[in-house]
Formats: sequence, structure tokens, C-alpha cells
Amino acid sequence: MKNHLIRIFLLVLSIAYLSALKAQTPSDDLLMQKREFCVALLYDAGSWDQYWEGARLRSNANIGTFSKKAATSMVAYGITNKINLIATLPYIQTEATGGQLKGVGGIQDLNIAIKGEIFNQQVGPGKISFLATGGFGTPVSNYLSDYQPFSLGLGTNEWSLRGILQYRFDNGIYVRGAAAHLWRGQTKVERNFYYNNGAYYSQWMDVPNALNYNCSVGTWLFNSSLKIEANYMGLRSTSGDDIRIYNSPQPTNKVEVDQVGFFAQYYFKNIKSIHGFGAIAYYSKMIHGRNMGQFQNYGFGITYQFKI
Amino acid sequence: MKNKYIFIVLTLGLLFGLSCEKELLTRADYTDYAFAGIDEKGGSWKPILLSGASQIVIPAPKEVTSDEYKAELNNVKLAMSTLSSAQREKIAYWTNNPILRWNEIALELSTKYNLIPEPNADGSYPVPDAANPGKYPLFPYSHPPYTCRALAYLSVAQFDGLISAWNYKFKYNRKAPYEVDNSIVPAYAKTALPAYPADGAVVAAASRDILIAMFPLEKDYLIAKANENMVCLTWAGVNVQSDLDAGAIIGSEVAKVALQRAGSDGMKKAQTPRAVSDSIKAAALNRFGWQWDNQETPTRPVGLTPLFGKVRMWNVPMVEEVRSPVPPKPGSAEFNVAVQELQDITKNLTIEQRKIANWWSDGLNTYTPPGHWNRFAKNFLIKYKFNPLRSARTLAYMNMAIMDAGISCWDTKYYYHYPRPIQAIPGFKTILGTPNFPAYTSGHSTFSAAGAEVLSYIFPEEAQQCQTWAREAAESRIYGGIHYRFDAEAGLAQGKKVAVYAVNRAKKDGAE
Repeated sequence: MKNHLIRIFLLVLSIAYLSALKAQTPSDDLLMQKREFCVALLYDAGSWDQYWEGARLRSNANIGTFSKKAATSMVAYGITNKINLIATLPYIQTEATGGQLKGVGGIQDLNIAIKGEIFNQQVGPGKISFLATGGFGTPVSNYLSDYQPFSLGLGTNEWSLRGILQYRFDNGIYVRGAAAHLWRGQTKVERNFYYNNGAYYSQWMDVPNALNYNCSVGTWLFNSSLKIEANYMGLRSTSGDDIRIYNSPQPTNKVEVDQVGFFAQYYFKNIKSIHGFGAIAYYSKMIHGRNMGQFQNYGFGITYQFKI
Repeated sequence: MKNKYIFIVLTLGLLFGLSCEKELLTRADYTDYAFAGIDEKGGSWKPILLSGASQIVIPAPKEVTSDEYKAELNNVKLAMSTLSSAQREKIAYWTNNPILRWNEIALELSTKYNLIPEPNADGSYPVPDAANPGKYPLFPYSHPPYTCRALAYLSVAQFDGLISAWNYKFKYNRKAPYEVDNSIVPAYAKTALPAYPADGAVVAAASRDILIAMFPLEKDYLIAKANENMVCLTWAGVNVQSDLDAGAIIGSEVAKVALQRAGSDGMKKAQTPRAVSDSIKAAALNRFGWQWDNQETPTRPVGLTPLFGKVRMWNVPMVEEVRSPVPPKPGSAEFNVAVQELQDITKNLTIEQRKIANWWSDGLNTYTPPGHWNRFAKNFLIKYKFNPLRSARTLAYMNMAIMDAGISCWDTKYYYHYPRPIQAIPGFKTILGTPNFPAYTSGHSTFSAAGAEVLSYIFPEEAQQCQTWAREAAESRIYGGIHYRFDAEAGLAQGKKVAVYAVNRAKKDGAE
């Protein structure tokens, strides 16, 4: 039971910082018990003052420092002990310190995922588990995806399929890896001609599919009240064009990201008055990328778990 | 076990729907069509640059009964008997009115090269160099003035070349291969147009040479395109080799005439050195008490083509004749009304207004507003089944009017040197990037009104639609936060006024 509670925090966490990349799909091993709920509120602040134009890291004084703030609400629910439903909905605000372009704010994409445990068994000094997640995300406001880098998101449906493999030692140390394929649809833009390594006569832009990887190493401390984790996230578009020199990005771009991070999580399990509550905090930084702002993110959130 | 099945079913359910993506066209879906008329008297129309239809001389064709012709005809039949599906696709691509594709190619190249130079590390800005086009920033930077000019020369050369071709077509009356030998089934709709010289070859050669001059780094690509266009005319069974050769002579020669004008029209001096730019700015400050300043970081020291207003016009004798009146003084009541409107609009921008701003934006890395109007024009050419000659005439008059509109707009812009909203209104933010030139008059409005005026003359049934588009293009700049309403209104009036000169000339060219 406690493990599940803990794990739901992890889930919340991964959603929170993946939201900066619009890859909000659960990538951990956590599952709620049947008829259990977890609700969470998360705040994420990401910023960059350099971006990768193709593979070249550069600055642009007409953007200066770009910032993206997100407040995300999340609900997870145990349909059965082995199958969970997870939904997230972020409100996002973007702005830049340089230049005269106006930032935007609004609700981005609703993401719904179903996660199931396929395998969980004691092997040697710990447990090995394998889970799979199917996710679907869709824009819920009429934000414009063709207003990069300010756009709230890619403005298209995204389907994802993810496999998660974890080995957890009985002493609390664990290693986890996840790999996902993200299928992105097309995004409707407000013009019917654009350039993507050649002319396109369409109001639709193809948003490249992507591969998404995560791996983490972590452990619990202080009688399982505090957890710390180091992690890596990778994203690779499987197609797409590069941002042209001094030109704006667009949803067709080939995006690559390598990001490292840490997080800490505390569970108030010994304080009766706030039983069921937890708190998380994290930091991450992109160390390599392509057609992407070099984001540095931090975030925190509160979670509350209960059973009906 | 049951859980696993539920999971699999739900996941598959989520993945369902991936197959509903739209096909993204990389070119317009033009097909060949039967021409509404063949303009038998087209050879007598008045050309723009040539002294007359017979200024360019081609040899008289051999009789269709000659051995030479028979050999050429056999080659056509041989090629047609072994066409691959790739060859058939190319034939279909070019259609029987290659004006459409060459215009499309010009728009694509304009888009490709429409990227503004980035600053150097020391904060200065490099300028493209025509003498060294491959060095960053690549030549050309095909901004709206550059693009409207490229399109004007392209269309004028095509038009004059086709007047010349029509003259010889009806002088020599050589039949098309499928009329000489009725075992030949042409790939395109049959026409009563004589085949010598090949109008398609005129268009291919003229377009190739004009576009090579305008986009020198694309030389190989353009040569390959022209060769493909020409060979398709034989594969389609509409021309023999000597039709092509004669057409290619006209195309090459008319391009030379057009490029001679281009070489001395003043465009080379349009992008001025800093000192000239500063003196133009100082003159405006002295005359009116205001000046536009670039707001980028680092500041671009010279605006876009300050002397484009001095480039030789096609149909307006003196640019001052179409210079717009003095705009409201910043801080005046009229100015404040315009500022208030901008602030209200940006504060409460509707989705519809945002769409209009983006739809007409046609900014960097696009075919620019002149390109947008060329796209409209092509759709009308197809709708009204214009033959190549009449298509070229439409585009020539429209693109001359659009270029003249650009010249008059730029003259007005740098004469008044009027500040943009982001300069005049503290803290003002926009949803469109503000271009690197003064505000008054609006280029979009001027280009669009000129395009609309010529298209309204050629296609009276479409006049209402064209005027609506021009008005919307003008308004779009206000929604985008980069123009005051008076920039847009004055631009519309200016573009219309300029286009009247082109329309008046067209009315007397013999085509009516």
C-alpha cells in the first residue's frame, strides 16, 4: 500500500517534467489499488536563454530569456489493482524577455493514459516488474501550434505506447528504464502554405513521431519517508526538418533532447492530520538537443491519495 | 489474466484513429485543360519590352511533308511508345500550360531564399552579395521587394515571348504532331493552336533564364526543370524537336531583353550603405519631426531596401504621382485614435482576428504577399481556362502592378520614415514580427490592392472576391499589431491608384 502511494508520486513527477516536452505519458512502475484515487497539483517553471537551431546552440537577443510556466492538475484512479487510468491537464503560460512578440497562456492538452502491470516477480534480492502504458493526448483549447516558440503545444493528437522495466532491491534501491513510441498526428495551422525542406500547399503540418526514453536510479531514506532519484530522459523525433538560420521553429521540426535531473519526494506518513498528503520537488536540465530550447526546469507539487 | 485482456483492448482503442491523416501536397494539383480560346490575333498584341512580335527572329519551319519533319515525328512516336509511369507523371505535372508550374517554382524559390540575415558576433549584420551568392547570407534574400520584382520580370518575359511565339505560330501554321499523324494520341487536350514554335518551350527557356538570374544558386535545378518541361512536350505528342528549338530561341532571347532592363532598373542600389540610410532618415526627421528606428536587438543599422522606391517603374511615369499624403503626426488626435484601436484589438484579439493576421502574414520563409496574389491568379487562370498567352498577360500586368505598388509603397515608406507601433507605443507587444522598414504605407495593403485591381479587370466576375481579399489583407496587419489603420487605408488607396496605370495599358494592348 505504501509502495503504491509512493509510486504514484513518482508518476506525478514524471508527468510534471515531461509536460515541458509535451510527452506527458507515465513512465514509472506505479499502480493504484482498485478504487483508489490520487489527485495532484503541480507547478513547473522552465526557461532557456539558448536554443538549438538544428544542432547549433545559439542565443537570440530578440527572445532573450524564454520562460514557460505550467500548472498541471492530475488524477489517477485504480480501475483494478493491475490497471490504472491517469489523466492530466496543464495550464501553460509562455513569454520572452527580449523582442516584441507577445507570449500566450491557456489550457493545453488533455492526456489520458491506461497503465497495466504485465509482470511482477521476486528474482534474487529484489522484484522485477514490467508494465505497459497506452496514452492519448489531444488539445482542448484552440491554441496555435504555429507560433513557436511561444505555442502552448504541438496542437495535435498524440498516441503513445510505452514499456517500463524495473528492478527493485528489497532494501529500497531501484533501477528503472522505460521506452516509448509517440505517434503524433497533424496540426492545423492558420495558413495554407509553408516550407518544410520544400513548399507545402496545406493547412496541415505533419508533426514528427518520436521515441522517448527514461531511466532512473533511486532509493528511499529515513524509514521510507524521503526518496531521492537521479534520472535521464531522451527524446528523438523520427523525422522532421531543422530550424533554418535565424528563422522561427515550427511543429514540423525534428526535435532531440537529452535531459538529466534529480528529484526528491516526501511522504507525510507519520503525521496523522495530513495523512494521505505528499510533496515533491525536482530539477532538470537539458544537456543536448536539436531544434529545442535548452530548458532548465524546476517544479514542485502536492499530492493527495484516498480511497472510495 | 482478465486484466491483461482489458488492458490490451483499451490500449488498442486508444491507438485507433492513427490512419486519418491528410495528404500534404508539395505542389498544387493542376491538371491539363482545354483552353477557352486560342487568341488567333495574339501575335498582334503589344508586347511590354519587345518592339514588336517579330523583333526576335526564328527560322521558317520545314514542311510537315519533309524528311526532316518525318524523322522528328518518328522520334516523337518512338518516345511515346515506351513511356514509363515516371515519364507519364512528369507529363501530367507540367500540363499544357507550364506558366502555372514556372510561377509555382518561382514562388517556392522565393520562399526558400526569404530568410533575413542573422547578426554577426560583434552585433553588425552581413548583407548578401550577388557576386558571391553562396556565402552566408545567401543571395538573394528574397524579401517582398525582391520577390515582386523577380515575378514581374518572369511574367513579362513569358508574355513577350508568347506574343512572339503566337505571331510565328499563325504565320507558319505548322500542325501539331497529332494532326499530322492521327495515330498519335496527345497526353493533353487537343488545341487548334499551331505547333511551331512550341509555346511550352518559350515559357521553359524564358523562365529558366530569368530565374537563374534571380536565384543563381539554383542554376542546375532550373536547367533540369526546363529540360524536363521541354522533353515532356514531345512525350505528350504536342511538339516535335524543331518546335522546341524555335521556342527555346525566343525564350532565351526575350529573357536577355528582360534581364537587360533588370540589370539597370536600380535594384542593385536599393540596399544602401549606412551613410545613405542615415541621410534618408535625417531628411525625414528634418521634414516631419519623426523617424522610424529598427527595434531589433542588435539594431539593424539599415532598413530593408531604402532605395527600392527609386527602382524603375513599369507603368507609372513618376513615383511622386502615387506617393501617399502625409500621415497623422505622432501624438495627434488622429494618431491617438489609431493607437487606441491597436491597443484594444491586441487586448481582446478574437480567434477570427488571429486567423486573419496569420493567414495573410506571408512573412519570412514564405512566398510573400506578391506570391499570395500569384497563387490566386493561377487559380483563376485555371477556372477560366486561359491559354498560356492569356495566362502570361494576366500575370504580367498583375506582377507589373504589384512591383510598381511595391516601389511606390517603399518610396512613401522612406520618404515619411514613419515609426512602427512597437516604437511609438511603450511596451507594445505583437503576435506578428515587425518588419525591418517604416510603417507608412502598409506593404501588404499596397501589394494586395494592386493585385486585386488587375485581377478585377481581367476577371470581372471575381472582382468582389478580390476586393474582399485585399481589404482583409490590409486589416490583417492591424490585427497583427504591426500597422496603424491609416497605414492600411493609405496602402489600399495607393495600390489601387498604381494598378490603374497597368490596367489602362492593358486595355490598349490589343487583347480585348
